[in-house]
Amino acid sequence: MTPVSRGRSSWIAIAVVVVLAGLAPLVFTNFFVSVILTKALWLGLAAASLIFLSAYGGMVSLAQVGLYGVGGMVYANLVLADGGLAAAWNPWLATVAALLIATAVGFGFGAIAGRSEGIYFLMITLAFSVLVYYFFSQVTQLAGFGGVNNLDLPGLVGNPGLDGTSLYYVTLVVSVVVFLGLRYASRTPFGLALQGLRDEPARMRALGFDVTTHRVLAFTLAAFVAAIAGVLSVWYNRRISPGSINLEQTINILIIAVVGGLYRLEGAWVGGLVYALLDNYSRDWTPEIGNVLGPDRFNTIIGVVFLIIVLLSPGGLVGLWERVSDRVERGRPTVGPGAEGPPQQALSSEVP
Amino acid sequence: MRARKLMALAGATLALGLVAGCGSDDDDEPSGGGTATEESTPAEGGGEAIKVAVLSDCEGAFGSFFEPTVSGFNQALIDAAGAKPAGQKPSDGLEGATIGGKEIEIVSYGCSNDTADKAIEETRRLMEQEDADILVGPLSGDEGIAVANYAKEHPDKTFINGIAGAQDSTLKVQAPNFFRFHPDGAQWSAGLGDHAYNTLGWKTAAIIGDDYSFPYTSLAGFVAEFCAIGGDVTKRVWAPLGEKDYSSYISQIPKDVDGIYVGIGGAGLISFIKQYKQQVGKVDTERMMGNVFWDDPLVLKEVGKDLVGGTTSAMTAADDDSTEVKEYIANLKTSYGDEIAGAGPSVFTYGYYTAGRALAKALESVNGDIADQAKLQEALSSTELSGDEAPWGDVTLDENHQAISNVFVKKIVADKTGDGVPDVQTFARIPDVDQTFGGVFSPDTPPPDRENPKCKKGTPPPWVGNTEKVNFGG
Repeated sequence: MTPVSRGRSSWIAIAVVVVLAGLAPLVFTNFFVSVILTKALWLGLAAASLIFLSAYGGMVSLAQVGLYGVGGMVYANLVLADGGLAAAWNPWLATVAALLIATAVGFGFGAIAGRSEGIYFLMITLAFSVLVYYFFSQVTQLAGFGGVNNLDLPGLVGNPGLDGTSLYYVTLVVSVVVFLGLRYASRTPFGLALQGLRDEPARMRALGFDVTTHRVLAFTLAAFVAAIAGVLSVWYNRRISPGSINLEQTINILIIAVVGGLYRLEGAWVGGLVYALLDNYSRDWTPEIGNVLGPDRFNTIIGVVFLIIVLLSPGGLVGLWERVSDRVERGRPTVGPGAEGPPQQALSSEVP
Repeated sequence: MRARKLMALAGATLALGLVAGCGSDDDDEPSGGGTATEESTPAEGGGEAIKVAVLSDCEGAFGSFFEPTVSGFNQALIDAAGAKPAGQKPSDGLEGATIGGKEIEIVSYGCSNDTADKAIEETRRLMEQEDADILVGPLSGDEGIAVANYAKEHPDKTFINGIAGAQDSTLKVQAPNFFRFHPDGAQWSAGLGDHAYNTLGWKTAAIIGDDYSFPYTSLAGFVAEFCAIGGDVTKRVWAPLGEKDYSSYISQIPKDVDGIYVGIGGAGLISFIKQYKQQVGKVDTERMMGNVFWDDPLVLKEVGKDLVGGTTSAMTAADDDSTEVKEYIANLKTSYGDEIAGAGPSVFTYGYYTAGRALAKALESVNGDIADQAKLQEALSSTELSGDEAPWGDVTLDENHQAISNVFVKKIVADKTGDGVPDVQTFARIPDVDQTFGGVFSPDTPPPDRENPKCKKGTPPPWVGNTEKVNFGG
């Protein structure tokens, strides 16, 4: 298969998925559209910001939940609400402010974290998320543990608690734009340089690239995407509390990214959908096994599925899909994982 | 080649659709007992089942209260609707519950984790996906406020609080279809301020609690009463719910106060008591009071020995030897055995029990007809519980659908019954405690939080100096 036809088929695949997703509200109940699909989309956005950094920049960041928390909290404080500052701004103005502030905070975080790599980068970004959590827990003028409730939302999304369709379409459109935008960004000279310094930072430096600046800018771009996810998450929940952005959520986003596939952007939304489905339905499906599994046993299912996916395919569900479709096309097993995969997967398999 | 790939893609999408499809009208396998009904349209008379969902916490700081809360609700239907346990564990469900000829189907026992976000997601799952008509729950303060707000937006469904004790969910939100048949956190603290100031002679006190709406409410009750009489609260310390390391919070508690009121709950209380003992040397219970968690059977079992001598209060009293209470505990034992019956005096079990009894009584009065839920809601707002419906004392509702009921003031004493677990000695009863504390709290006062209510002298609540002395079994 030539690269051209692969490119064209991927466009067709995207179009098919988007059209089907657009038809979803006609098929599914309001509950499903809202609690499963909309949630999967904004979780996917948050995971996409992580996957972008990981796939193209080689940076596995745990700060994304902290950053979307900043976005969500800024929005929550600026609009009319119970708790927080309740500044009663216009929701759109608050949205813009939330995106700008969270992106700026992301730039600041990036400037600090961008100099470290590997496990140190992971730890420092984890610290950012925990910092954001405690900041909003302790500064009760802005949130406190009770959080900010009953947020005022833009008229465009209506009341998602009663009819989630408009919020679903908004989230869908934003997801598609972000997906295409990040894909485009990865093919610009900036994105190519980023991939270069992911694989060979020393050589890139020798060639005259400013490694740290590139990493900081990539982190800032990802912070912007995370901020969008944050604003959409508070539109979806109509509240935000430190409990929405705690360590558990940080781990959830990482799980979503890994389940979907850390090497491909579309994996973010696949992971989001799988997570939303499991989190909702496993509560009813999971059998009881005597007294071995307690009432919170559905967590076991999520954990087991996570393990199976990671063991079967380091590239997550999307990686699994690629292996299967390659096999279907060629009618014989692949030589090895990533041997003829997309360029970024082949490259990133060398990243520790 | 490409066609094959697209075929595979279409196949995958179809598979996904199937998964989603069976989820979108997922009433074919309810996790709770009861028989599933084919129809999912809201009741239109006839023999259709009344769908009830129960929401509790099975994760987080209160996860251990899941089965006790469920047992409380189930026991109410066992007592009042002829139901039978469908299994050994309360969450196995019920069978054969009927009221007014209508079957009561428990569609699911929802599991939240003490956050408002999860409580709402679970509420949506239960009400919109499982299509329940009535929700009984939730368990924790912030969840309760969120569910009350959800109720306001869904007037065609009915909500009865489980055991969430934040003041706001009734006093501030005032949803016409949200009912609470147990006292809130502040009401549970009634009598403690009086006892501290007038009996124990405290002039100054410090308070420490979990940093969210229920302890705010719980400690507000103490502050309002203690300060109105003339006491002074000099320090308020707040720790995150479910904190593991309380050392920095314990060191913030001043040494120069006459007493400490502890509002830490759930799993955190056990860590707090253990760490307090290590850090300060001993738990000086004679100058400590605790909120509703202190004499909870699950807590007494874990750290009860360290709490002997402490004072606490709530709407239940384990040592109450009235026939109704004995019968209630015996019935729980018949249904679910010793362990669950042991947790019978827990407010968690009892809150869900009174919710269930109130629901059964209101359904009875509308003869099981919930085609128009406004009728059921009207019936609920005038429902009063007495006798075996509320073993620890009559319950009536005020205009905000908030219970007015008894509160007991108790002391934790060394084991009397020989089971190795310390016991409770009740010494006072305060009848008919209302949510406003005789006017201190109103819809216009700031909601209880880290700083509110302010500590100031004023008109004490009506029960100060008027508590009834009791001595069960004495």
